Amino acid sequence: MSSNLPVLLFLVPFVMGVSMPLITAKRRSWCPNITLGTVGVMLVLSIANLRIVLAEGPIDYAFGGWAAPIGIAWLNDSIAALVILTICVVSLISLIFGRLVLTTELNKSVPYYTLILIMVSGLVGIIFAADLFNLFVFLEVTALAGYALVGAAGGKGLVYAFRYLLLGSFGASLYLLGLGHLYVATGTLNMADLAIRLPELMTSTAVASGLIYIFLGLSIKMALIPLHSWLPDAYANAPSSVTPLLASTVTKVALVAWVRIEYSLIAPGVEVSHVPVLVLLEELGVLAALIGGALALIQTDLKRMFAYGGISHIGLILIGVSLGNATGFAGGMFYLVNDAVMQAALFIIAGGVLHYHGARTLEDLRGVGRQSPWLTGALIVTAVAMVGLPPTGGFFGKWNIILGALEAQHYLAVFAIVASTLLTLAYFLKIFSCWFHQPQFAESEPLQVSGALRISLGAISISIIALGLMSDSIFQFLLESATSGGA
Amino acid sequence: MGELLETLLQRPNFIVFVILFLWGIYIMAAHPNLVKKLIGLYIVQTSVIFFLVAFSAKEGATVPILLTDTAAVDTLNYANPLPHALTVTAIVVQIATLGVSLALVSAIYRKFGSLDEDEILEQLNEQ
Repeated sequence: MSSNLPVLLFLVPFVMGVSMPLITAKRRSWCPNITLGTVGVMLVLSIANLRIVLAEGPIDYAFGGWAAPIGIAWLNDSIAALVILTICVVSLISLIFGRLVLTTELNKSVPYYTLILIMVSGLVGIIFAADLFNLFVFLEVTALAGYALVGAAGGKGLVYAFRYLLLGSFGASLYLLGLGHLYVATGTLNMADLAIRLPELMTSTAVASGLIYIFLGLSIKMALIPLHSWLPDAYANAPSSVTPLLASTVTKVALVAWVRIEYSLIAPGVEVSHVPVLVLLEELGVLAALIGGALALIQTDLKRMFAYGGISHIGLILIGVSLGNATGFAGGMFYLVNDAVMQAALFIIAGGVLHYHGARTLEDLRGVGRQSPWLTGALIVTAVAMVGLPPTGGFFGKWNIILGALEAQHYLAVFAIVASTLLTLAYFLKIFSCWFHQPQFAESEPLQVSGALRISLGAISISIIALGLMSDSIFQFLLESATSGGA
Repeated sequence: MGELLETLLQRPNFIVFVILFLWGIYIMAAHPNLVKKLIGLYIVQTSVIFFLVAFSAKEGATVPILLTDTAAVDTLNYANPLPHALTVTAIVVQIATLGVSLALVSAIYRKFGSLDEDEILEQLNEQ
């Protein structure tokens, strides 16, 4: 039983998602509760999985008893277990929040809940996959569910979902092309096997172009600047109930997929025709962190501002994992977990503001602070974490990335992190100045918010602070898995 | 230049792949009609599948099924089954993508009454 946890984690949401139309054929109103229950079961399983991995070390899971190079393998290590636990927590909280803002039409829609469960199962698959082709299939499962969810509410969202689909599928084609190149050069698709065969072949143009295609494909999926153009529009127009889930998981998980490939295939200091690969990636991260932060600052729409904030954080994480030392790597991965939680918090707040105050732009936000103490509290906690002040997890992540950059003597990276922190501070000041502004209309009573919003806001704020308080132990085991060489 | 041309001409499969791939990208970028953009995407995906099939072709090889388990296996006589398995899976993914995208396109058409991207953007800006 315990050795089959990775497969159970995938199968539980997948089977429930596919059989949802059958189970709820007569009783449409069961859908939300079944979805919540399924994600709850996943949460329990993922906690058990994390405990086992921490006690016993990384576990290779071979399907059907066929070992790695011949059969399909999944790798269940501490990074995978931690990211999956994060995904379960944020999806549970997003689902609780989603019930509040869901239109009645979507609330009774079976496909909507099926798509959410299938997307979550795809995310689990991406994180466990230790095989490039398996990764491709799960990327597409997640992405297809994602396109449909962005367009679920109809209206403007449809057009942006279509654009997301065009770019995302093009990215997947590039990934498949790169995978083909690597297969031609090495004759294997298993990551551990590739890691053995690739170092001698690094001079081959087929390997280099294969890795470039894979990186380009995945950077469309993770919305790395300059390939980010689909993200702000898609997230600003998707239904409020799914944006917390989409924003916190889809791009981060594509980044985790790249981190796995990068960490097992590209050794620190590797150069392809005199270009140091990791430094190049780090520079791309620097660009993304700075441009993303600057673009966030000039937005007037709250959701778009948060979306650009997420884009700049993708850059920060890419800097951390590309520094080539364990401190930076563990810092980057820790920041990734934090960022997933913070993005969920930001979009829950944006959705709550839209639902209760009808506010989309900064102008509309005036006076919200006086009416909604719950939203204000959660916004303050999240802002502290986004800017990166102790005791939240955001601080410890950024701090360790900076320590890693100093260790590698990459001062440009240090500058980028500090500058993007200042940009984050600037756009939160912009939000706060509207938030606490004198209300447009006469002073009104504090708004009564529903229990679902209180639970989700409270839970997400507690998770942000808990990540900060537990940062030491989480960071230690990330550091251990980074130094032991297990990707 | 002559050498490059010679190596290129020895690989007609890859020339076809490059042409299809770039053609698909051009259609995706240049045509304002949403269905034509989809056709461009479909050509790009198909070209990548063509690439997978092209490199796994082997002259004089047969299906990878062993007739006896006593004789020594000469791998040169058998085609590599893995790229074909990948191809079939990739085609399935492609079909699923096509299904979702056509559903989105028809929903867009019902909502905006047009398939032309410029007209749709105009309507979006008016709202």
